[in-house]
Amino acid sequence: MEMVSAEGKMIPALPDLFTWDEGQVRLISAHCRSCGTYFFPEFHQQHRPGCSRQGIEKVLLNKNGVLKSYTIQYYMPPLPFKASGNITPYVIGLVEFPEGIQIAGIVRECPFEELKIGLDMQVTTFVLYKNDQDQEVVTWAFRPTNPIR
Amino acid sequence: MREVAIIGIGLHPWGKFSQKTFIDLGVEAVSKALQDAQIQWKEIETICSGIYIWGGNAGHLSGQYLASVFGETGIPIVNVYNACATGASAMRMATMSIASGQVDVALAVGLDISPEGFLGAKSDNPRQDRDVLRWRMVGMPNPVYWALECRKRMEKYGTTAEDLARIKVLLSKYGAENPNSRYKKIYTMEEVLSSKMVSDPLRLYEICATSDGAAAVILCAASKARQYTSNPITVAASTLGSALYGDPTLRISAISAPAKAEAPLLSESYSASQQAYKQAGIGPEDIDVLELPDNSSWHYLQYLETCGFCKEGEAEIMLKEGQTQIGGRLPVCPSGGFASFGEAIGAQATWQVAEVVMQLRGLCGSRQVANAKVGMAQTYGLMGNSGTTILKR
Repeated sequence: MEMVSAEGKMIPALPDLFTWDEGQVRLISAHCRSCGTYFFPEFHQQHRPGCSRQGIEKVLLNKNGVLKSYTIQYYMPPLPFKASGNITPYVIGLVEFPEGIQIAGIVRECPFEELKIGLDMQVTTFVLYKNDQDQEVVTWAFRPTNPIR
Repeated sequence: MREVAIIGIGLHPWGKFSQKTFIDLGVEAVSKALQDAQIQWKEIETICSGIYIWGGNAGHLSGQYLASVFGETGIPIVNVYNACATGASAMRMATMSIASGQVDVALAVGLDISPEGFLGAKSDNPRQDRDVLRWRMVGMPNPVYWALECRKRMEKYGTTAEDLARIKVLLSKYGAENPNSRYKKIYTMEEVLSSKMVSDPLRLYEICATSDGAAAVILCAASKARQYTSNPITVAASTLGSALYGDPTLRISAISAPAKAEAPLLSESYSASQQAYKQAGIGPEDIDVLELPDNSSWHYLQYLETCGFCKEGEAEIMLKEGQTQIGGRLPVCPSGGFASFGEAIGAQATWQVAEVVMQLRGLCGSRQVANAKVGMAQTYGLMGNSGTTILKR
């Protein structure tokens, strides 16, 4: 699953979680038409009890959401988290999408003092590190929809 | 179903013991419990042992390893892992073994030697283990989950940094007087509020450490308990709960949660405690002393609400009015809590039970809750599992 970005070759740290095929980064979810639940990742199902589990469709979530909680992390997590050097302090946010699901991710391009529950966010990518083939290994991330400064 | 009583408890003190094995810790706890119950090893008819997840095959067969030390007798041994509710699961199995009439005497034991630092992932397949995703894609140690919930609470109910710090200050006073605690230092508000920020808004002293420890409980048919002790403690309820669909908690290891709440926060703990009240035939208002899982200061506040001790958003009032102190309406964690002990996943639930037993026996000295008759031990639970034990004297 190799993709080419404007900046060069990027590959996701793990597959099947997000895409940027349409020029915009979108998280890959699945929607159960029987019970209405959205899953993330799409392969971890969490149906309503009694659901027939019929009619699960893969969907790309809206590119925009709203920040529902956040924390600033001051310690580097242990392996298997891998980044090019110490990225602390970094922000982790919980973003709610219009489909009715909240998803956690690293928040970029937002000064700490601007963090606020209710902030409009959009999905982006974050380069974790460069691999042996000089590819950028990326994860999904969030940034304010309206750039701050 | 027969009534079940606790006739003995034993602890290996909490701390860091890099020179010891999980077996060493377990053996000390079980030895003390046997002595406390005045019972011989050969009289134990079943062992329900907490799995020690960091101990390879041996850790997954902890009960057999303990039995080999004391002498193998051919009895049924079941090893169980249910994250933070591991010990509560051992308690429930031991209780049911006796209540059903299968055996008269059972041992429930939990033991743990924690790895250094943040607890990490144990597998590498993201399609079957969400742990892999949360570590590799987001970089989320457990305190991040607690901080995200804590931030929501601050926004919703106006919880302050001082509220969070006050919990550590209070619990450190109790922990200082508990011979089995890891941390004996009494903290001031200034010290807690100036401790390092770990996962904003949670500071270092507002998050529990990871510790080593072991706790054993010997249970007996109530009808035979007085053969061993003059002071048996009745198991009024021993339950497990799992999560409910629509729980809005961003649960540890998950990277998503439903936007619309259709169940309470920490629904697994809500489920376990509600079942326990029903089983015991009492309500939260009847509890005289409570051990809850204060993995962080947020947990302390949230569990008061999750288990029905106050309405949503009122835990801070209970704290500020001193209702949760010894002498207050509901003394909470007179042991010193996880704040003074640290979490030891496999051991902490049986330890909480042992602390409640000591309170109901009236043996806690300066930490004693006057005239405590009914006590409750409540666990947390990664991936939606939790246990509640209600004890009576």
